[in-house]
Amino acid sequence: MYSGRRLKEALFTVTIITLSVAAIAPVLHIVYTVLVNGVSVIVKAGLRFFTDLPPTPGSAEVGGIAPAIAGTILITAIAFPLSVVLGLFSAILTTEFPKNPLSLLVDTIARSLASVPTIAISMVIYTVIVVPMRSFSALASALALTIVALPYTYTYFSAALRSVPAMYREAAFSLGMSRWDTVTRVLIPISRRIIAAGALTTLARIMGETAALLFTAGRFRGGVAISLTAPVDAIPLLIFDYILSPYEIWHEVAWGASALLLLSYLAIFMSVKLMVKEVKL
Amino acid sequence: MLAVEIEHLNVYIRHAHILKNVTLRIPKNTVFVIMGPSGSGKTTLLKVINRLIDFTEGVRVEGVVRVLDIDALKADPYELRKRIGMVFQTPNPFPHLTIYENVAIAAKLNGVARSKRELDEIVRWALEKAMLWDEVKHRLHAYPHQLSGGQRQRLCLARALAMKPEILLLDEPTANIDPINARKLEEAIVSLKDEVTVVMVTHSPHQAARVADYIAVLYDGRVVEQGPAQQLFLRPSTEITQKLLRGEM
Amino acid sequence: MRLSKKDKLFLLSLLPLATSVLALLILIIFAILLRSLQAINKFGLELLVSSVWSPEQEIYGVLAPLIGSLATSVIATLTALILSIPLAIAASEYLKGFIKNVFSSLIELAGGMPTIIYAVWASEYLVPFLKTYVMEPLHRLLPFIPLFSCKPITGFSIFAAGVAIGISVVPYVTALILESYNSIPAMYKEACYGIGAYRHEAVSILLSLSRPAIVASLLLGFARALGETTIAVTTVGSSMYLSSCLFAPGYTVAALIATQFANANLYMYAESVLYTAALIVTVIATILSFYGSVIMVRWRSRIVV
Ligand SMILES: Nc1ncnc2c1ncn2[C@@H]1O[C@H](COP(=O)(O)OP(=O)(O)OP(=O)(O)O)[C@@H](O)[C@H]1O
Ligand SMILES: [Mg+2]
Repeated sequence: MYSGRRLKEALFTVTIITLSVAAIAPVLHIVYTVLVNGVSVIVKAGLRFFTDLPPTPGSAEVGGIAPAIAGTILITAIAFPLSVVLGLFSAILTTEFPKNPLSLLVDTIARSLASVPTIAISMVIYTVIVVPMRSFSALASALALTIVALPYTYTYFSAALRSVPAMYREAAFSLGMSRWDTVTRVLIPISRRIIAAGALTTLARIMGETAALLFTAGRFRGGVAISLTAPVDAIPLLIFDYILSPYEIWHEVAWGASALLLLSYLAIFMSVKLMVKEVKL
Repeated sequence: MLAVEIEHLNVYIRHAHILKNVTLRIPKNTVFVIMGPSGSGKTTLLKVINRLIDFTEGVRVEGVVRVLDIDALKADPYELRKRIGMVFQTPNPFPHLTIYENVAIAAKLNGVARSKRELDEIVRWALEKAMLWDEVKHRLHAYPHQLSGGQRQRLCLARALAMKPEILLLDEPTANIDPINARKLEEAIVSLKDEVTVVMVTHSPHQAARVADYIAVLYDGRVVEQGPAQQLFLRPSTEITQKLLRGEM
Repeated sequence: MRLSKKDKLFLLSLLPLATSVLALLILIIFAILLRSLQAINKFGLELLVSSVWSPEQEIYGVLAPLIGSLATSVIATLTALILSIPLAIAASEYLKGFIKNVFSSLIELAGGMPTIIYAVWASEYLVPFLKTYVMEPLHRLLPFIPLFSCKPITGFSIFAAGVAIGISVVPYVTALILESYNSIPAMYKEACYGIGAYRHEAVSILLSLSRPAIVASLLLGFARALGETTIAVTTVGSSMYLSSCLFAPGYTVAALIATQFANANLYMYAESVLYTAALIVTVIATILSFYGSVIMVRWRSRIVV
């Protein structure tokens, strides 16, 4: 009887540990293979990886992914602040006026946006922006990414604001602070680390999002475009196209670009880790 | 001259009747102590005076509350709170602000100081009044988590004072701190009488005896007795008061 | 209590924002709905009962991709079920100190990693691995089971896509389970050990206590798997042929859209058909995750007092 229980205990432990190692192993393998395959490509291409145009399929040289890098920076520079501002103000609305019907509406919408497949968002922006403007554009891509990111910023920020103990809010009001002052001078500063961590996590998401760009960006790889209304490229999009292509040289570029994306993600992840103990997904 | 005048106040939270027909008169420039067993509604009463009660879910307030000659239940709560300081049961200095900033923010927001020099003076004045100045004057730019619990509570007092309030609400300010810090706080409170009206909740009959001019006793949401402190200590008219003042409740 | 004048002003100043979020939703619903109407009117249910993609003849049927989406999501959810629960238990009950931190950090790291990176890795490493070590053995051992009845040719298949997507949702589901598991009040745990339970017995009691939360997490994971695009495209094999065998190449709705949408505007109905397919998947995903969140909230309000 007793030994039976003990045996079960041991079996259970072994199973749990084995399966959780199996669950974690892919992450390690992904990081390892992407870095091994990709960093060598970047090293081989040198600085030109950041400044050159992508190679033609027959080319012997790796070239670079300058259009994709510029595009990702441009799109992110628009989508990130937009989604932070929208997310923050939505969070303020729903945490400060939780009973207001408007808040319930905004809360429900912002949360359910998370379940809309990002490729569907890409299709919506295609219909609403790309078709009327008759061109793929950085603007369309940035708007698509803003919609993709909004549920994330909103969820992080409202959790951050709610995490401030009620006693500080009471203290603020007892000092005669207005609601605006209470939010901007007390609630946000006290939860600033969580807010910053949430913003950075969203930044990583924006940078790595592929599907939302499929029908909005336009994959312009012939040069570096810095225009809101012209087609652009983006790093994830380039990886997507090149890894599906039959050309060896494009696979190489895809690995290099993946490594670059992964390294940027790792950098962001580390800084978030330095800010907060636990990273919320 | 009355600082607070409460008539037939009833407070309900959802379906619970928390304050029952409370009538109170708090004279200006006195220390008015509210006593009563746990859950009798003392904190709720304080929060009605500065309308922090507004933030309680499902609350309904009925009756007349006149604070500094304005109708507190109809007034703009933000304007009202500018004239009333409050110190809470648990010390809650803002963790993201330094000691100096914690005090200064109260003065700045309420337009008490116009220049940097005035601000410095007010911060110093408030910290001195709260008997904290000597302990922190060399580390005004440290953060409050470096202070002891008692020091934090005196910092909260200084913060409230920096608003230059006309009324000061103290909710068991010494409940979570040691006796020595508690005595310092009491000293500070008594010395404030000339400038503000102090309304203080306490569980300790000794503290009440040391600081109170008037005492009101709350029991299960009702005022069972109120009057000058000596009178209550010498001739308590109810058994509840007797027990409370003997520390048996 | 009613709002004071200042609060009303503050609320009013937040109004433009509220309306813009509302506008977003209306925009999304209307854009997808309006663009779908054409195909729905023209083909009706026919779209859902056949598997053809022949825009030159304007003949369409999205049965295979729809089934593919559901099948890959089921496989992904099973993968998550098998891996996430042990991982969550290990992270909260079995691991201590440094190792625990490493595991938690890796879960967090994996959860935020761009899916395109999973997609690249899956197509280059995971698919060949699954082909050699899972699909071929299963086919050899159990060829009489219809699901395993075909020989994996390339490895790119519904099965591979399901597992790959599953691996990418494991961290998400694990985080959800961990969060609910850790929010169980300590008194229940103490109660378990108090009646002399071994650790595995305590864990199974706590797991059955949090069963609704686990179901909710899996529903949310399923919804996420349904919409996953990049991993599906690189692993599913892109075939409109509807097969009962998991090892044959197939399609998912997201993959169909990703590969066909770019040229769809050359034809009369192709775009509209793709919008219809997107509409179906979006509705399913939204309902499932809404239902999942409701279960989660209800469970939490009952357990966490
Ligand atoms: N937010 C709330 N929701 C429901 N009931 C509440 C709420 N706040 C207070 N109460 C109830 O109101 C009654 C009075 O509470 P109050 O905090 O005023 O008591 P108190 O006299 O300050 O007690 P203590 O000495 O323990 O601080 C209590 O019965 C309490 O349960
Ligand atoms: Mg109290």
